[in-house]
Amino acid sequence: MSIAEVTGATGLDKDEERRLYHEEMAIARKYIGPFPVVMALWCFSNLLCWFALWPLVIFDVIPLWAGFIIATANVALCYLPSHEAQHSNYANPGKPLRWLNELIGYVSTIPLVLPFKIARYTHMLHHKHTNDPKLDPDYEVIAPTWRQAVMKTIRRMQPGFPNSYGTVLAENTDDPAAQRAGLEGVVQSLAYWGILCALAWSGFALEAAFLWWLPRMVGTVYISLFLSWWPHHPMKETGRYRNTRSFTHKLGNIVAFGMEDHIIHHLHPGMPLNRNKAAFRELRSILEARGCRLEDHHA
Amino acid sequence: MAILKALFPWGPVFFGLGFLAPLIASLMITLTITAPFGLTEIQTGLIIGGSWGLVAKFGGRWI
Repeated sequence: MSIAEVTGATGLDKDEERRLYHEEMAIARKYIGPFPVVMALWCFSNLLCWFALWPLVIFDVIPLWAGFIIATANVALCYLPSHEAQHSNYANPGKPLRWLNELIGYVSTIPLVLPFKIARYTHMLHHKHTNDPKLDPDYEVIAPTWRQAVMKTIRRMQPGFPNSYGTVLAENTDDPAAQRAGLEGVVQSLAYWGILCALAWSGFALEAAFLWWLPRMVGTVYISLFLSWWPHHPMKETGRYRNTRSFTHKLGNIVAFGMEDHIIHHLHPGMPLNRNKAAFRELRSILEARGCRLEDHHA
Repeated sequence: MAILKALFPWGPVFFGLGFLAPLIASLMITLTITAPFGLTEIQTGLIIGGSWGLVAKFGGRWI
């Protein structure tokens, strides 16, 4: 099936379109405004927990296997606070707390080793071109089933598989933002590999492997599955109201990292993740009238 | 940057020698696995890690 641009496919007349739009925006504005305290606390508590694991494991306060499980959770959890920063949801440019927005963007994904500027650059393209095979940097995650999506993410981590984010940056070398993102990416990646090797040759190889290297791989698979594959599957449609779905995951919205309501994020990226569910409930009738993909079934 | 571009394709080999080798040696010591042919644990790690890195570099995948 080819990509279908279905915006307006529900046959709404212009007055109805306008009414729905104003109702939608009025509801959305209620949830967008306040500073996302929960997400900021999420960032720093998760990061603190991950850093604390190192001395706790090295000095045998907790066993390595327990450290591995907690570190894997930390890596999986570290992306979403940075995601808010990518959208400037803590503070827009020029605002007093802008420094905090950028700080969270940079430090939150240290366990994941995802350079903030690369994440922001590619994520903005994802929003602009969601599900476009050529222009959406996240399109590579496409797979018929979630199991195949997991296997594909593992394949994408192999050295012979082209890095879709690297490809995007290489295609935009005349853009200063892409150049800066690429440079930060190189520095951060070299720092990561350098620290891993230094730890390994200093007698902390197992700690480096089980607190960072392996958790990062598992976390990457988890994030790719729940944040990219699940909300956009089957990635056939474009258009504001059809490119993302809502769904009910049988393991619950917490396991799905709040992605059951990812459609709300694509409609209103300025709304923090922890308010999406309440906004979804209030917006539901409007989304139904719009013909959105509200798939309330267990996947 | 030119040096980095030249070295980047050899990343898997550097990773095999720089990280996997001491990791394999640590695992052997922890699991009390004796190195073959009179080698030390780190020598074994360097052989396995370096070879694995070469396989990943030329084969395009670790697994």
